[in-house]
Amino acid sequence: MTKIIEKLISFIAVAIILAGVPLLVLSQQRPPATHAPPDVLIGVPKKGLYERPYVGERDTSEKSIKADSQIIVELCVNQGKVKVNGWNRAEARVYVSDGNKFVFNVREKSAKTGDPNWVKVIGSDTSKGMYPKGECISANEIDIDVPINATINLRGHEITTDIDSVRKVEIKIAGGQISLRNIANGITAYAGQGGITVEASTGPMLLDSTNGNIVIFEARPAELGDIFRAKTTGGTISLQGLEHRQVEASSISGSVVYGGQIRNGGSYSLTTNKGSIRMSLAINASFQMQATYRAGNFNSELPIKLQTENIQEGPIKTIVGKLGTGDASIKLTTNNGSISIRKL
Amino acid sequence: MMENCLDIGTIQAFVDGELDHGQSARVSAHAAICNACSLMLAEADDQSALVFSALDREFNTLVPTQRLWNKINDSIVTERESRPFWQKAYAFLTVALVNPSFAAAASLLIVIGIFSALWINRTPDTANITRTDLPNTQPVQQISPATLSATRDSSAVPDNESTATPAPTYRVERAAFRPEPRRIVSQPAAITASVTNSTGYMPGEESYVKTISSLAKTVEEQKDGGIMRPSERIAYERDMAVVNDSIVKMRQEVKRNPRNESAKQVLYSSYQNKIDLLNSVTQKEDLLVSLK
Repeated sequence: MTKIIEKLISFIAVAIILAGVPLLVLSQQRPPATHAPPDVLIGVPKKGLYERPYVGERDTSEKSIKADSQIIVELCVNQGKVKVNGWNRAEARVYVSDGNKFVFNVREKSAKTGDPNWVKVIGSDTSKGMYPKGECISANEIDIDVPINATINLRGHEITTDIDSVRKVEIKIAGGQISLRNIANGITAYAGQGGITVEASTGPMLLDSTNGNIVIFEARPAELGDIFRAKTTGGTISLQGLEHRQVEASSISGSVVYGGQIRNGGSYSLTTNKGSIRMSLAINASFQMQATYRAGNFNSELPIKLQTENIQEGPIKTIVGKLGTGDASIKLTTNNGSISIRKL
Repeated sequence: MMENCLDIGTIQAFVDGELDHGQSARVSAHAAICNACSLMLAEADDQSALVFSALDREFNTLVPTQRLWNKINDSIVTERESRPFWQKAYAFLTVALVNPSFAAAASLLIVIGIFSALWINRTPDTANITRTDLPNTQPVQQISPATLSATRDSSAVPDNESTATPAPTYRVERAAFRPEPRRIVSQPAAITASVTNSTGYMPGEESYVKTISSLAKTVEEQKDGGIMRPSERIAYERDMAVVNDSIVKMRQEVKRNPRNESAKQVLYSSYQNKIDLLNSVTQKEDLLVSLK
């Protein structure tokens, strides 16, 4: 009897489960098709990343402020030509042509002189509310005069920048050309879509461009140990008259050109993935060289004494050589291109 | 011109971003090595840039196109298909339990199920087991080992006595058996180390690969978000194809000859280039966001 009851209960339980679940599933209302527009549009380009902001009524204005000799001037520019010039006055002046209004925001004053030593130039909204929100200035031209020992900290969207005779520059722009001249104590520059040109400057230099060329004419360290680093993905790097002892230049699909002295004890690394490497060196240069290439060739006009050549089998060719006493170290690497060393 | 050069339709589709990832990679790789195609690509890019600049206002109105909707729907379908079973079950239960009738029925089913399980798996009554012997069975006698050996040696026991005894019938009872939980024994360190080695990475390579993998995920999301112009996108894909090609060739060479230090040097340099390339996208995104 007990067995029969057990079997009966088991049968009922299984039957209820088997019959109930599909019925309950079917009894549920199917959710409506969710192909309606979602709240967040996936894949829609973010508005305004490259859109020039609406500026509205434009104005031309000029303002100046008394400044400490080592003032830091910080500004953000959405569009326009920016020209910064160092002068021998304890004063900072900003002239905006055909753009929105701006104000000086004094962040810090010097403990010694009481003059501002950190100023931010901020684009201001007008009462009509027609100017873009945010701190960036949009203008046709922006001229800035600062003390010769000033530091310029500039961020920008699509701007052409020309900076001359200041102590230090930190610049980051999404697009446009950067030209720097007579910078006394170091440069940090990033150009998303554009080239960087540096002329007659000193100090450590970190230059980074995505698709532009990097061109250097006469740059030297301010202190022993200042490094020079240039990096571009799709541009050429040309280094002429560079006197830094630590030099790193790398490109992915561009050539690297070096012309100038090789300093004793220096370390030079020129690398490209798809491009040639050309060096123009003085005949009395002294260095130890390692050239590595895959598809391409190596040639030298200098009497480099080869130490080893292609000691490994395979497509990668490596040449190790020495000129003079071998004081400096040069490392040249290209995956797809030629390496050549010429007389200066 | 190479034999398998790209046609203008493919190039235009590439510039318009209509190719899938694999096709885009193939076009990029081909354009990297074919001058004619890269020229055509550049021309198409210029034309697109011209058209895009003319239609910039229309494109920026945030009206999703049919293509976009198709992409959204496709991604929804893909996401649904790729969802694991437990997530589907969880989603079903979450939605279903909102309905009171379903909740009540489910509760009833659970109660019935628990009751049935308890009934069926109830603990057997040990006292009852000993008394379920049929009446004609002999009570079990405790036999000492000595007695047992004596019984074996003795031939005095008449055979007919044992044969005359009726065979006892036994009732089969369900045993209350619970399997012991499985014990997980940790693998020795040596075995784990050998697995790590079997991944095939050279010393230091794995960290590059991991960095690239994590960066690539971020960049894939960002580059489709309108951060790059068509020309930048082409340059990016071209450079990526160059770097990937270099990595593949150098890996093959290093695999063939693990002592080739030059190949290793170029390989690591290519990895670094790839990281720089991926970083350039995130760096730009960060800058553009900071300017907003």
